[in-house]
Amino acid sequence: MQDELLSELGVSLMEKSLTDDSLLEETAKYEQVALLPDANVIKIGGQSFIDRGRRAVFPLIDEVVENLPHHKMIIGTGAGTRARHSYSVGVDLGMPTGVLSVLGTFVSMQNARMLHYLLAKHGIPFIEPVQFPQLPHYLQERNAVIFFGMPPYIFWQPNPSIGRIPPHRTDTGSYLVSEVFGARSMIYVKDEDGLFTADPKKDRNATFIPKITVEELKAMDLPDVVVEHAVLDHMENAVHRRSIQVINGLVPGNLTKALNGEHVGTIISSD
Amino acid sequence: MTTKADKRHHMDSMLMRESMVDKTVMASTDTDGKVPVVRMLPHVHIVKIGARSILEAGHEVCYPVVDVLNNILEKDKLILSTGGGSRSRHVFSIGIDLGLPTGVLAQLSAADALGNAHILGTLLSPVGVVAIPPEIFGHLLPLFIRSAPGVIFNGVPPYNLWEHLPAVGRIPPNRSDAGSFLLGECFGCKTVTLVKDVDGLYDSDPKENPDAQFIPKIGAQELQQRNLKTLPFDRIILDLLRNTKLVKEFQIVNGHNPETIAAAVRGEHVGSIIYADT
Repeated sequence: MQDELLSELGVSLMEKSLTDDSLLEETAKYEQVALLPDANVIKIGGQSFIDRGRRAVFPLIDEVVENLPHHKMIIGTGAGTRARHSYSVGVDLGMPTGVLSVLGTFVSMQNARMLHYLLAKHGIPFIEPVQFPQLPHYLQERNAVIFFGMPPYIFWQPNPSIGRIPPHRTDTGSYLVSEVFGARSMIYVKDEDGLFTADPKKDRNATFIPKITVEELKAMDLPDVVVEHAVLDHMENAVHRRSIQVINGLVPGNLTKALNGEHVGTIISSD
Repeated sequence: MTTKADKRHHMDSMLMRESMVDKTVMASTDTDGKVPVVRMLPHVHIVKIGARSILEAGHEVCYPVVDVLNNILEKDKLILSTGGGSRSRHVFSIGIDLGLPTGVLAQLSAADALGNAHILGTLLSPVGVVAIPPEIFGHLLPLFIRSAPGVIFNGVPPYNLWEHLPAVGRIPPNRSDAGSFLLGECFGCKTVTLVKDVDGLYDSDPKENPDAQFIPKIGAQELQQRNLKTLPFDRIILDLLRNTKLVKEFQIVNGHNPETIAAAVRGEHVGSIIYADT
């Protein structure tokens, strides 16, 4: 390719190594466009929410429908109980992390399909990664889409630092969707009020943390955290989505408030 | 199936009711001592053919590499991969100028690598080795390997819009070297070889510095500590090597001296070996 056809960055990219920090710094100088700045990404928990069945899911579905005229929602699903079962069976049989990632994808897809059927009469589609090019159109037309939260890493899922369970699961996949589209919010719908110093289901003395930075949270080195560690790692490098909110979706109205930008759970930010 | 006090329906298994973020729970899934991770393709070799260094370097460079691959394929099974090369760099420069995010750049670059995979597949067609569509590649890989001497894929991992965010700048960190390495780890392949246009790793770029010192063998963490300005492979592999269970090293060889590819597949040390020093 002739040099006169290349931009200054183009010349650098042709000449320098992609491992060279001076080149990488050059690429950071270009302002990144927010592709879907009005969209909200919502992740609905698997074990924490969908596995509770009708009692938990129906009121939340109603709340999503009530918000359709007001908010654009890209809704990802967790995996939960059956993923834990497949991971248990898989680990015992010696499955590599990449295969466990495939298994987790299937469960998160089942949950996406179930929510999709419950929202079918409102014209909300379920899209797999290959259908993401249609996402902007569906959002424009119907204000919501459902996707499965697992990132499509399958056999290329990197190993975790401890154990064998895929480190990038549905919290991470949903988060990366919010970042890549420059969405206006990332809301995690779980069955707890947000982040606690310990798992509140097991420790009565666990105290609620309404707001915290990624840096502070990492420094606390808690044995258990309400979102996947990979989300926190990615948030440190994020261009657009530098905060997330974890809310208790069992409390009616919380999702609406979070969509309206209110602080109703735990806000974790990287600033 | 049980419904316990917390009103959630559970299935009994070791991870039930547990947080998969809890460090103790995660440690319980490390069963290496009892049940090692299955090696799906233990006799197969991963060979990544550089795009800029080999495929784009003209037939004088590329054909001898193809000849060597043909020889290897007579007795060994290969998973071949390629990168996107100059076209990916070009699309990165345009995409970044247009303000597009890293995930979009990753999605775009997969197409360049796939084009190169098809070029290599055309050259190896006489021995039945072709580029496999990415949608079916991973799931059908063991079947293809049993049926053909080898397969070719675009080395770029399928991270797509879900590509990880780089610490500096916009370039996708998981490119075709990383994708080839990750695939080798998941399938438990015998060797991973990256074919470039340098003899291996140097303490500085040998194309720019004639006094660059060759590094025949080095640990991944030691290499990270040396913080070299450039590396002849995707830097993220050094992080990946911290956690691998089945692939503990990879070798960089010079495709301009193509017999080194065959030697590397035989397990000989002919280039630079980077190994897990954890």
